[in-house]
Amino acid sequence: MAVSPESRISGREEPAPAILVEHARKDYGREAGGRREAVADVSISVSRGAIHGLLGPNGSGKTTTLKMLLGLVRPSAGRFEILGVSASAAGARARLGFLPEQPYFPSQLTAGEAMSLYGRLTGLRRSALAEQTADLLDRVGLDGRQKTLLSKFSRGMLQRLGLASALLGSPEVLVLDEPASGLDPVGQRDIRNLMLELKAQGVTILLSSHQLSEVETVSDEVTILNSGRVAARGHIDDLLNVAGETSIAARGAGELPVDVAGLVREVALHGSTSVFSVADEHVRRVVDLLDDGGWKLVSVSPKRDSLEDYFARLVSDSTQADNASEDEDAKGGDDR
Amino acid sequence: MRKILAIATAVVADAIRRKVVWVVLVFAVFLGMSIPALPSYGVGVAASVFREVAIALIYSAALVVALALSATRIPTEVERRTVFNVVSRDVRRWQYVAGNWLGMFIVLGGVIALCTVATIAIGYFTMPGGEIMWRLLEAAFAVWLEAGVIMALAVMLSCSFGVITAVVGALAFTFVGHAVVTLLGLPEGVRVPWYFPSLDIFNVINPVALGTGYGPMYALSMVLAFCAWVALLLLGGSVLFGSRDL
Repeated sequence: MAVSPESRISGREEPAPAILVEHARKDYGREAGGRREAVADVSISVSRGAIHGLLGPNGSGKTTTLKMLLGLVRPSAGRFEILGVSASAAGARARLGFLPEQPYFPSQLTAGEAMSLYGRLTGLRRSALAEQTADLLDRVGLDGRQKTLLSKFSRGMLQRLGLASALLGSPEVLVLDEPASGLDPVGQRDIRNLMLELKAQGVTILLSSHQLSEVETVSDEVTILNSGRVAARGHIDDLLNVAGETSIAARGAGELPVDVAGLVREVALHGSTSVFSVADEHVRRVVDLLDDGGWKLVSVSPKRDSLEDYFARLVSDSTQADNASEDEDAKGGDDR
Repeated sequence: MRKILAIATAVVADAIRRKVVWVVLVFAVFLGMSIPALPSYGVGVAASVFREVAIALIYSAALVVALALSATRIPTEVERRTVFNVVSRDVRRWQYVAGNWLGMFIVLGGVIALCTVATIAIGYFTMPGGEIMWRLLEAAFAVWLEAGVIMALAVMLSCSFGVITAVVGALAFTFVGHAVVTLLGLPEGVRVPWYFPSLDIFNVINPVALGTGYGPMYALSMVLAFCAWVALLLLGGSVLFGSRDL
């Protein structure tokens, strides 16, 4: 089993991460406006058995990073490993399943023929292939469609088939690029449940998605990219919990007690429930005041941003910082 | 080899459902049926004229199918991104190129076989005396090998360039490959440099039309030339495709 460099030093035999990307860079040579750098410097480490969300606005370098990992695009620089083995080595991708964004298939094949092709490329023998094809098509809701031509499939059905083909050979690592794209709400829920089910079976998932609620629900860790660089990364709770603040949700018919207003930093209304953001040291006092004022307490929990708010703020800050840096560079250039 | 065969099988399944293959086949059979109406037919050299025209017909059908399949296959797969599902797996780029070529070569073999059987049947029913022209099978084999080489060149070009470049390049290669001996005739005392591309080894019109055929050693030399050409061109295609971002 491959081990990480840190564990070699410490003497402990920790397994290498399921996916390791170190200082990935990709530039596309000279274009009209100069060199185009799709990925400037991206490092991602995905622990075994985790679901890792990869987020970023359009053009942030998510898909290019995934393509470099999967050998679809040649990296300009960087190290890429899958289960401790260099991603470019023979056999490295044998234990990996990939669902591309908007998967396309040869339209003149049937679903069964497509599964047969991908299963054989995964190294499955005939009997295992037949068994897995039937099982996986059933699992993604395409039972009985084996003989249907793919030209007759809807966008959502192709997405489901893409997922089934990614699961052929029972991969230990899954890379999913926008898995819920093109699916209706029920389909999105099915995919979410499937990801959690696979995680429970020990499968590692790298999930690139624009559906922030989906990422927030299933991911253990996230990496957020912006302008080809890592803007933030970490455990989802560490990123979203607001240090030193608590949310108090309460329902009340009467006026808000006057003393509470002075202790609360922010109030948000969710239907008939008010959610107060309070500094940790004032929590007990605010709870007592609300109780005395006849309010019904619903919950008290550490304050947590939604991933959507966090993402929007981070991307905006990061873009502003980039623009300021470019302005500085331009100014420096003019001075010279 | 399993992966190459898996890709080739999918290419065959995909290609036989495409209309172009069947349109070419129907057109070739239709033209074959019109051979007996040619003016030079029936003046004592009917059999050799029939065979010569039949070979030209089989060759034309093979060339159209070879170009239609091979020049478009990889660019279309890249454009539609169907290639992602294959090369993101534990599949080497050269296996993808070789599997695609092999699948198309098999389809081409099927088309040539059907055309040849059809022309032999037409000959049998229209020729005086009802002769079965087995020699056409020998010509079909040579045509299959040559079209396989042309296909490999179109695949190689299409690994890096567009469809039009691949078609023009393959047609130019076909023309140059037959320019020296077949089209111009090699002048006395003039030797062609060893590196000059020649497909003349696959030109068996004369022995087949005259009814003498060619021997097993000549067949072996054609197979060896075919293997060398295909290996070289697919190697070039693999290098070009391997260095390409998808």
